[in-house]
Parts: sequence; C-alpha cells; structure tokens
Amino acid sequence: MRRRAAVASVIASAGVLIAGFQIGSAVTAARTPSTTGTGTTSGGSASNSGNSGNSGNSGNSGGTSSGSTGTTGSSGSGGPAKDGTFTGATEQTPFGPMQVAAVISGGKITDVKVLQKTNQGGRSVQISNQADPMLRSEVLQAQSANVSTIGGATYTSEGYLMSLQAALDQAGFTG
Amino acid sequence: MTIQNVRRPALPQSSGNRPSPRARFRRRSAISDLLVVIAWVSGPVAASLYLASGGLADVKDVGSFLTALGIVTGLIGTDFILLMLVLAARVPMIDRAVGHDRAIGLHRQLGKPALYLILGHAVLLLAGYGASSGINPIAEIGPMLTLPDMITAVVGTALLIAVVVTSLVAVRRRFPYEFWHVIHLLSYAAVIFALPHQFSIGGTLAEGTVQRVYWIGLYVLAVGAIVIFRFAVPLFKSWAHDIRVQQVEWIAPDVASIHLTGRDLRALGAAGGEFLIWRFWTAGTWWHSHPISLSAVPTDRRARITVRVLGRGTRRLATVKPGTRVSFAGPYGIFTDAARTSPKLAIVAAGIGITPARALLEGSQLARGEATVLVRSSTDDETFLWSEMRKLAEARGAELFAMVGPRARNSWMSQHDAARGVTLRSVFPDLDRSDLYVCGPQRWAEAVVADARAAGLPEHQIHLESFEL
Repeated sequence: MRRRAAVASVIASAGVLIAGFQIGSAVTAARTPSTTGTGTTSGGSASNSGNSGNSGNSGNSGGTSSGSTGTTGSSGSGGPAKDGTFTGATEQTPFGPMQVAAVISGGKITDVKVLQKTNQGGRSVQISNQADPMLRSEVLQAQSANVSTIGGATYTSEGYLMSLQAALDQAGFTG
Repeated sequence: MTIQNVRRPALPQSSGNRPSPRARFRRRSAISDLLVVIAWVSGPVAASLYLASGGLADVKDVGSFLTALGIVTGLIGTDFILLMLVLAARVPMIDRAVGHDRAIGLHRQLGKPALYLILGHAVLLLAGYGASSGINPIAEIGPMLTLPDMITAVVGTALLIAVVVTSLVAVRRRFPYEFWHVIHLLSYAAVIFALPHQFSIGGTLAEGTVQRVYWIGLYVLAVGAIVIFRFAVPLFKSWAHDIRVQQVEWIAPDVASIHLTGRDLRALGAAGGEFLIWRFWTAGTWWHSHPISLSAVPTDRRARITVRVLGRGTRRLATVKPGTRVSFAGPYGIFTDAARTSPKLAIVAAGIGITPARALLEGSQLARGEATVLVRSSTDDETFLWSEMRKLAEARGAELFAMVGPRARNSWMSQHDAARGVTLRSVFPDLDRSDLYVCGPQRWAEAVVADARAAGLPEHQIHLESFEL
C-alpha cells in the first residue's frame, strides 16, 4: 500500500471514530434521565417523554438522590388517586409492544404488572425478563414512572415507563 | 496562387492528443489510493456508527462490555466479508485502477481476519450474554441457539469456515481446483444464511436506526456488484458478441491457439495484454472457466487466445470442435498500455507469457525506439509466437532480443547469457525511464521483478502478470 493511502486511511479512520464517539456521547446524554442528584425531570424528556403529569412531582422531590423522596412528596401534592388496577397504553418499541398495568391502593403504587413484553427476538425477551423486575422495584420505591432506564435495555425501559405513566395518568395518580 | 496548394500544419507525430503516461499514472494512482482508503475506512465506519448510536452507554459491567465488543467485531467482520465480495466482483473501476490481481490479493488477505472476527463475535457474545445472565459461556450456547435466526447464522459460520479453510494455500493444493471452486461458491450461501440474525437479534440494526439503513445499503452494493458484474454483464456481452470457436491450432507440443469468431469484437474494448475468463459450452467443459490472455488484439470478427495445456481441464479446451459456443467475462487486467507511467517500454516474456506480451506490443501506440522486448525460453520448443513477435517488433520500431537455453542457477537468464555478464540494464539501457512489463511462469517472473527492484526500479514502473500454471 502506498504511503499516501496509508496515512489518509489512518487519519480518516481516527476522524470517523472520534466523530462516532462524540455523537454517541451526545445521544447518550440526551437519552439518560437526570433523575439522580438533581431531582428535576427536565433532562429526561427524551426517554420519559416529559409527560405533563410528572412536572408536579418533580418540584416536590427536589434534593436527595434517585427519587426516593418522591414517596414523601406523593401524598401531598396530587389529587386523590383512585384505587384499582389501571392498564397503560401499549407502547411500540423496536422490539415489539410493551404494556404494563399499575396497581394502586391507598394512594400508592403497590405493584406493576407486565401485560405485554418486548418479544422480537429471544434476546429482547431475555432483556425484558431481566429489566422488568428491576424497573418494578425502582418504580415502587420512587412511587413514580420517573426513574432511570436500565442499561442495556433502553428501549424496553422506555416502553415500560411510558406505558406506566399512561396508567398513572388514568388513575389520576400524580405522586 | 490557390489556397489548395498550401499544406495544412502537421499534427504531432504518433501519440497525438493522448494524455502523457505520467498524467494517466497520477490519475490512476489517485483513484487507486481513494479506493484503498474507502476499503480500510469502512471498518472504522462500522464501529463508529455503533458508537454514534450510543452503544457505549449500554456498557455497565463486564457482561455488557463483552457484548458491545462482540457486536463491534461482528460488524467489522461483516464489513470485511462484504468488502471481499466487492473485490471478487470484478468491478471495472477497481480492475482499471488497481488491477484484478491486486484486488484478488486483498480479497485473499481479508479472508482470515474476517473469519477470526466472526468467530470472535460468536465467542464474545456467548461470554457477554452469559455474564449478563450469570452463566458460563458454554452453558449460554443452549439459550443462544433458541434465539430466532440463530441456527441459520451458525450454518453460515460453518460455511465460512469451510470456505476459508479450503482456500488456504496449503490445503487448496490437496483438492482439485473445481472442488475448491464449488466450496467457494458456498460463500454466497454463508452471507445469505448470516443475514437474518443481524437484523432480528439485538437492537443494533433495529428498524428506524441509521445503522440499519447503512448496512442494507452495503449489502445492496456488495451483492449488486456481484450480480451485475459477475453475472448480468458477462451474460449480456456473451449473448451480444456471440463468440464461437473457429479453429484450434497447435503451435507447440502443449500449446494451442484457439481462433474465435464473433460479432463486433472491437467493441469489447479489449486492449492488448488483457485477459478474459472463458467458458466453452461442450459437455466436458461447460462447468469450468479459464482465464486466458488474448494473444492478438481482436478485429471486428476475430479474436485469438493461446493456452498451455497442463491438466485435464485445459486438455479438453484444446480439443473443442469448431462451432462451439463460448461465453466469457471481461476483458480484465492492467497488463496494458493504460498502465504506462514512463516514456519507454521494456517487455520481458517467457513461455506462455508471450501471449499478453505480444498483444501488448501489438496494441500499443509506439514511437520508433520506444520499446525494447526480451523473449526467453529454455528450449526451442518454447519459441511459439516468436516469429509474430519479430514482425511486430519490426513494424513498431522496437528492438527484440531472444534468450534461449537452460536457466542459470539463481537467475532468470539463460546460463549462457548469465555467464556473459548480461544484466537487466545491459538489455534495457533506459531502464530508469521505462515501464518494465514482465510476463511468464510465476517463479521466473518474480525473479525478474526482484532483479528490477534490486536495480532500483520504482514499484510503479514494474508491471507483473504471472501465470500460476
């Protein structure tokens, strides 16, 4: 290979990789909800799609980390949530539909049931099986759909949380 | 005084308004370098698109790290395989810029790395998925195979292993060429079998992603190149030119010239020194094709190829009946006037290598004294086409030297001439300002090229067409 071609290849490769890395970082930053630490949801608009129901919540839960304060804030601000099981909308993800139902009792989220899980490709079933319990426990702890997505299961998490938010909206659950 | 008696100004002699060899060389090497850069950068582009999609964000622990690494190796491995398809597709632009030999050379070089990357892809993903679900990679094989399109992917990988292993030189020698060729055709099947799992498993090429569009584009490009340039164009040309065997003429104990007739053969645009890949449609020969150089520049109705009979395949070729239909692909190769870089032309040919050398001399526009030719043979039996060469050299104003006799030890020359102290430079006094075209049996031709390099001739002035046979 001639030197000119070799040098050009190396430079172009480095440039391409750096550009890819930069774009990747930007994409990731836009996608990751900034729930931890700051307590605001503004950064999380891409993934949790900024459902209006969240905004009231976010004001309350300021301060401590990872949304655990949401529990205390929940009873105060929102109107009385209906008890019962509320089915969320079916969210389409690149791996198939995702749908959950929220069980609310005594003004609290007591359970999240998965009705439809991403099913395209056994791998996404595997991912879903792993991610769903983790999301459930985070949601029960935070008492909100405003929790961070699970690494390696971004689409599944987004579908899960958006469907949950729809269910919570139905229940009039504002946290 | 009438205007008619005044002579028009003279045109420049010979080459007219052809661009100079130097200018053509610059253009060709620019295209060649560009193609090389595109080829090598396509690997990083595959990795970069994965990074750009936020792939790194998924890396949280060892399992997801291995998975991400496995995805990238799979992407680059696939990129290499598609590159190999393009290189084997005999795309005219690639052939003209770097030559068929170099394209196939790179194709061969990529084979092993591509296989290792694909195997690494499988191993890394087994380890990565295993680590994520807390089981060892071997135990992960079971769950992995239940994934959709996984069985076909495994079959594709097995085919790929078969193709690469049978292509490795040492192994290839043990099989007949035809066996290797059939196995090699399985690489198309390997690509097709591996295709579905890339789009159905994992989110990397999920619908709506940039990567999906890019990879579908790459597949269309690579497979399209094969379909168009390996199948459609040759079929159409074969049909349009309607070539048939006119006569087989033995010109040496094991060398036959096959005279062909056809329609509008000049339109093939075959320059002297090019080869075509021929297929003779008789019961014993239709299933194997042979690269054979033109031994004369085609006229409108006639073409001639000359072949050395070495095995059963070529023996059958030399016994085809007049009227046999012939299909072909090509012309290919840059052992032509188009590859010139320097003002003078030096040709060294031996054995069956005389065929492209003769056509090259015939097809070149030459000024008197521009070309010098050296023909070499061990015995008098091997001097076929030499009389034609002599006439051509006379007509083109080229100097012709002949070197007959057994080969000297550690030299490409005859014992007699080596002992006399003949050197490449004494045969070609203008060597530094010459393009050296070498054509003959591989070992011998390589010895000439080594000698030329030792004499300080730059690489771009050396043009080699070796006959493996």
